[in-house]
Amino acid sequence: MDYRIHIENGLRISRLAKMAAVCSVVAGTLAASTNAYASAIRSASPLSYTVMSVSGIVKDAAGTPMPGVVVAVAGTSQAAVTDDQGRYHFNQVPDGATLVFKMLGYVTIERPADKNVINVTLQQDVRTLNEVVVKDGYRVTTVAASTSAIGSVNSKVMENKPFATFGQTLQGQIAGLSAPTTSGQPGAALDIRIRGLGSLSLNSNPLIVIDGMIVNSGKLGYNMTTANALSGLNQNDIESIDVLKDAAATALYGSRGSTGVIIITTKRGKSGKTQVRVDVEKGFSSQMAPPAAGRPLSGPQYAELFREALKNGGATQADIDSKAESYGLNSGKYYDWYDLVTRQGQQQQYNVSFNGGTEKTKIFGSAGYYNQEATTIGADLKRISGLFNFDHELNKRMTLSAGINVSNVGQNTPTSTNYSSNPTWASRALRPFQRPYNDDGSINSNTQGETNFSSIYNPLWIVKNDKKYLSETRLLGNIKLKWNIWDKLNYTSYFSSDYNTLEETSFFNSTMGEYAGQKGRSKNYYVRYFNWLTRNQFDYRYDFKGVENFYATAAVGYEAQRSKEYLLAADGIGFPAAHDGLTALTNAATPVGTYGQYSNYSFVTLYGLLDVNYRNRFAINSSIRRDGSSRFAANNKYANFYSIGGTWNVHQEEFFKQQHILSFLKLRSSYGTTGNANLGNYDWVPQASYGATFGYAGLNGQQYNVIGNIDLRWETAKKFDVGADFGFANDRFMLTVDYYRNNIDGLIRQVPTSYTTGFGAVNQNLGAMMNKGWEFTLKGDVVRYNDFTWYTNFNLAMNRNEITRLPANTPVLNNLYYLKEGYNYSTYYMKEYAGADPENGDPLYYTDGTHSSKTNNIANAQYVVLDRQAIPKYTGGFNNVFSYKGITLGVDFTYNLGYWVSSNQDVYFTNGSNYLYNKYQYIYDNRWTHQGQETYVPKFTTKSDNSVSTYRLYKGDHIRLKNISLGYDFKNINIIRQWGVNKLYVYGRATNLHTWTFDDRLPFDPEVSFGGADSQGMLQFKTYTLGINVGF
Amino acid sequence: MKRTNAYISGLLLVATMATSCGKDFLKEDPSVGVSVDGAILNESNMVEALAGTYRILDNYYLFGRNTLVWGDLLGDNTYISASNSGRLLPYNNYTYVSNNAENLQQWSQSYFAILQANRVIATKLPESNNVNQFKAEAYTLRALLYLNLVNYYAKPATVFPDADGVPVVTVPTNIGGALIKPARAKVSEVYDQIISDLNTAFTIMPETSSTLHANNTNFITKYAIKALQARAYLYRGDYENAKSAALAVVEKGGYTLAATQAAFNSYWGSNVARADKLETIFEINNSTTANNGQEGIDWMYSRTNFGDVLVTDDTYALYAATDIRRNLIVQAPRGTNTVNYINKYQNTANADRDEVKLLRYAEVLLTLSESYYRLKDEGNARLYLNMVAQKRDPSLVAYTFTGDELFNAIITERRKELAFEGLRFFDLKRLNVDFTRQNMGAKAYTSFENVKKTDTHLQLPIPELETANNPNVSPNPGY
Repeated sequence: MDYRIHIENGLRISRLAKMAAVCSVVAGTLAASTNAYASAIRSASPLSYTVMSVSGIVKDAAGTPMPGVVVAVAGTSQAAVTDDQGRYHFNQVPDGATLVFKMLGYVTIERPADKNVINVTLQQDVRTLNEVVVKDGYRVTTVAASTSAIGSVNSKVMENKPFATFGQTLQGQIAGLSAPTTSGQPGAALDIRIRGLGSLSLNSNPLIVIDGMIVNSGKLGYNMTTANALSGLNQNDIESIDVLKDAAATALYGSRGSTGVIIITTKRGKSGKTQVRVDVEKGFSSQMAPPAAGRPLSGPQYAELFREALKNGGATQADIDSKAESYGLNSGKYYDWYDLVTRQGQQQQYNVSFNGGTEKTKIFGSAGYYNQEATTIGADLKRISGLFNFDHELNKRMTLSAGINVSNVGQNTPTSTNYSSNPTWASRALRPFQRPYNDDGSINSNTQGETNFSSIYNPLWIVKNDKKYLSETRLLGNIKLKWNIWDKLNYTSYFSSDYNTLEETSFFNSTMGEYAGQKGRSKNYYVRYFNWLTRNQFDYRYDFKGVENFYATAAVGYEAQRSKEYLLAADGIGFPAAHDGLTALTNAATPVGTYGQYSNYSFVTLYGLLDVNYRNRFAINSSIRRDGSSRFAANNKYANFYSIGGTWNVHQEEFFKQQHILSFLKLRSSYGTTGNANLGNYDWVPQASYGATFGYAGLNGQQYNVIGNIDLRWETAKKFDVGADFGFANDRFMLTVDYYRNNIDGLIRQVPTSYTTGFGAVNQNLGAMMNKGWEFTLKGDVVRYNDFTWYTNFNLAMNRNEITRLPANTPVLNNLYYLKEGYNYSTYYMKEYAGADPENGDPLYYTDGTHSSKTNNIANAQYVVLDRQAIPKYTGGFNNVFSYKGITLGVDFTYNLGYWVSSNQDVYFTNGSNYLYNKYQYIYDNRWTHQGQETYVPKFTTKSDNSVSTYRLYKGDHIRLKNISLGYDFKNINIIRQWGVNKLYVYGRATNLHTWTFDDRLPFDPEVSFGGADSQGMLQFKTYTLGINVGF
Repeated sequence: MKRTNAYISGLLLVATMATSCGKDFLKEDPSVGVSVDGAILNESNMVEALAGTYRILDNYYLFGRNTLVWGDLLGDNTYISASNSGRLLPYNNYTYVSNNAENLQQWSQSYFAILQANRVIATKLPESNNVNQFKAEAYTLRALLYLNLVNYYAKPATVFPDADGVPVVTVPTNIGGALIKPARAKVSEVYDQIISDLNTAFTIMPETSSTLHANNTNFITKYAIKALQARAYLYRGDYENAKSAALAVVEKGGYTLAATQAAFNSYWGSNVARADKLETIFEINNSTTANNGQEGIDWMYSRTNFGDVLVTDDTYALYAATDIRRNLIVQAPRGTNTVNYINKYQNTANADRDEVKLLRYAEVLLTLSESYYRLKDEGNARLYLNMVAQKRDPSLVAYTFTGDELFNAIITERRKELAFEGLRFFDLKRLNVDFTRQNMGAKAYTSFENVKKTDTHLQLPIPELETANNPNVSPNPGY
């Protein structure tokens, strides 16, 4: 197996690890007492003691010596810790005693002390590996000393997943992290929320840190609605992901930590035999069909509704007949547009990595290729990526580390939001009688006539002739020098740069589509980001005299970052129709516009950390940070953030030994402040601008057109967290419970102004809201029986949002929601639909929230604050790995419960007045057709009302079988070793296999954006892959 | 060697750190805009800010279309055709309400332009001829905007000087703050500000024009200030001062009327700014690159474009067959009807579109005529009336009216001369009369015929968003 040791190079960390190991001696011996102690008593003669010396070397599975392993003699107070070469030594061990080898993150081993040399190999305890070391980007601590709520996943979870971006893999893995996939476009941008909505007006996505670098993330391009800045990151290169949730951890990121922080650490080399690993995965993707209620109608079904709508709307039979004829209803030619815009896609990835080194120099290198075709026509992604990480001990006191991560992503993206070119929209909207192909088999591009494409374009033509292509090349590099200045003083200097270019080219053909009227159009965008960060930090450790294992660590550091964005864009119309290959912008007859601009930001930070640890029983972490940012005016440029957290490791206490249910109990709490500075780089600046629309009589014109606000500040969150970690069965599995309150103040809101100022609104820090909730995670080997283990990661998060302050006179109707103090931000506020009138099929609405009377005139119905919200009340995942003798079965579920969803465009697929659009199946199945019929769907007629009501609000609750995999590890088969192979793992995997939903009417996949709205994004899909991992 | 490398790399990193300690590290300026406090640093910047102000005037929500179209449509000169593009329909029927989008834009764009003018006026550059000239232009544009606002949103100053006018803001928002909630000044106070601005402008306007922008009718000139002031005094009912201001233009402005029919036709056919002081005193530029496209006033009027807004038959009938102005109305079919199209904007087919005329010499002459009449000098009143009337109708025998007949002739001449230039409604308001908007029957979209002088819709509604955002502004009655 290819498990990696988790010992970081650098003196401070190994020392810390050693500390942790030493500190766990007491706990270790006692925790093991029930078995080892008893056996020691049994085997040792109480009368005759013979003693012997025992020594040996402890190694890991890869044969690397392990320092810091605690070796204890059961039943005695003797204990030792292995040195740098993994050696231990006892002078006097009672004959027949038992040696216990223990290290956090490894399976504890017991050996009878029956010879003088006992070498052991410790196997990693994979399940809790990620619990050993916690990283927040500024310090590395052990679980015992950490006071933070940090959720982590390791490389095992990330590797070989058929998802183009790591966020998709994270969904369901960490309590309180939500990352819904709202588009099936490979490489689509993903919105991530940690502990709920972080802001009303600003970006609520967490800060992303890769190997210490705060990167630009999210949607960086201009033309692609779904491009993700981080889609170049190969998941197989990720060693671990740590998600910082509470103040103790996020306050370290000061003005940018409010929405949570995701720390990504890439794989690094380790000393020992060079290991080469090859991973190959291939497969295909297939459609994830919409729920039955949302299937588009077949030709005959549509034809029936078409006639019915006209008839009920009062059209004459002659009218109906002539319309039916012109719309091709009598032609007998009809098509399933859903089938036409979907396909079976191919999927493959290849990764090669090597890792090795000497005591002094360690390297890790990898190369990866990833190719995924979506099941929607025209959508795909190709990625090539490389990573090279290097660590070198310059001398005893200095270590130099460097890394470089290079990637290129090529992505074809059909239009997703603008309906008329969007294949998903087309598949729902196009009439079955519209003809995809001409009689000669060519694609129909006719825009005249009712069986052709006068409004919504033929998606087949658009996909074939239009182009929306993104090529993103990223170069992320870092270099770090660690210098042990003297015994307990360390200095770390870090520099990283992130160079990211996005070339976006789009072409719209001259025959059919958005710019056919302009004889075709091409837009080209070149966007370059250059982002650098430097960090210099001093660490000092002070040991209190006279008390063992009582120490404080302090750090001070300075950080500076600047990101520069440069945009160059050009746009032209008029393309030669006869040469459909000539799509390059240079061919355009008429230039439309050229743009060149930049957008920069900078941050500087001074920070200090102080941690105190008393024998690992009690620990305090604290931080203070002063941030300066270019995103605010001079008088608001700087702000302070701080945090303090404490923990009590109850299992270290004597009284804890009185019970045998828990093997571990840790209580922790933290409080602190963080900020959100995710606003535009120049939002605060009152600006005068120049431009073509401001000039006059040949003169350049300037207008004061951006109101700005020099008083704009950070949004500030006060975070409180209290949590407990419970360990069971020798820490084989852990239950973590957290309660948090996150009070966000100074929310930026648009405050309406008198128009006499020349402007209608100004941004001000005027709102406040509270997120509070509970998180539960049960993680570990809940069952271990002989060779069978069941590892599970069950997590549940419950977040409640409440608006606590708004600017005066804020209207309560906020799109579909009720915006008011005391309410969840996503509380629906709508008129309530009451079903079809059994007498005449009219839609009925409750006149008010009491449901005491109904009306068929929606104008007479009141808006009602509903007990329904757009953001799920319960989110989480249930991930399982069952292992038996090399066979591994993984079954992962994600779930989102307690929320309601809608779609802005649903009215087209449900309402009779839009009878020229295809309809959802549930409309056909349930519409009112005869007197006395009790049904939900009203009479289908062209005269129906389109107003918003709960008619088109669906329960979004769902449980998804996200991932299922079955693999076999050939490691115990000798023959493969003879081939020089030390690892061979073969597996099959399927994703998104099934989704359970709880609303019969739900017509689309309920994994929608945080606003609860489906926006006709590309359909998600299932993947079926076979993979092989080979290690040499 | 290794050690040396390490120290070098360490030093490099420290050096990087040092560079980021600089004082300006956190100073980032936008590339597509300049901080407003530093936006006007020299005379060229002043011209740019001034150009930005002029350009807002050309916005089709302001003088580029709506302001001027309403000026005749709300009066009795025009109506909207039964066959129309759907634009401005409530203004045909007097059915506009306080959340009407065009109405909000009239209000907000006016103040947006005032903001720009305030910025030029607040410039603290050392005094010079150029600086004075640009400030004078800004003062004049501000006065023009306030005069327009107070006439649309308030009762006429001739009758209700103490009624609610409009809020008067004279400080740019970057200085005055975004959270001001100014109340409405009295009508007379708004006029005081207008007159004062124009006095200041005239005083500081140098005799010789700056070379930093063209010296033609696209820009406010010294006697454009007086011409506008004559209008303001007339609207206020201060005839003595109206007379003086108008006389100053006549005596010192150097303007002339078109001498011949050919010259007149050529004048109206032109799409470029003038420097010859013929007819136009001030007009808004519409160039190849800066015009309102199909939203311009010309498209609303032109027969070959939307042609939504037509001339009532009554108005057409005012012109004698020999009146050269009648050629500025074209009778042509629209569907099955023959209708009267406005032909004052003749360049819709050209890339360089018509300038929009805001001040013409003929208006000044007629203001002078009316002022003399009001001041009981009927001789001079007839003199200036005939000066215009006989130029436009060469076969007209000079008017010899006296008393009310003379007054009516002056007002009618004003209506005929300035038709479709957006001023008729203001005349009807200041005269405080009931008036009839001719019912054009099936030719018209709908009709609202008789307008009482007490009709609350003679004052446009203060936009709902203004009264909501600024509780100090009282709404107009009737909405």
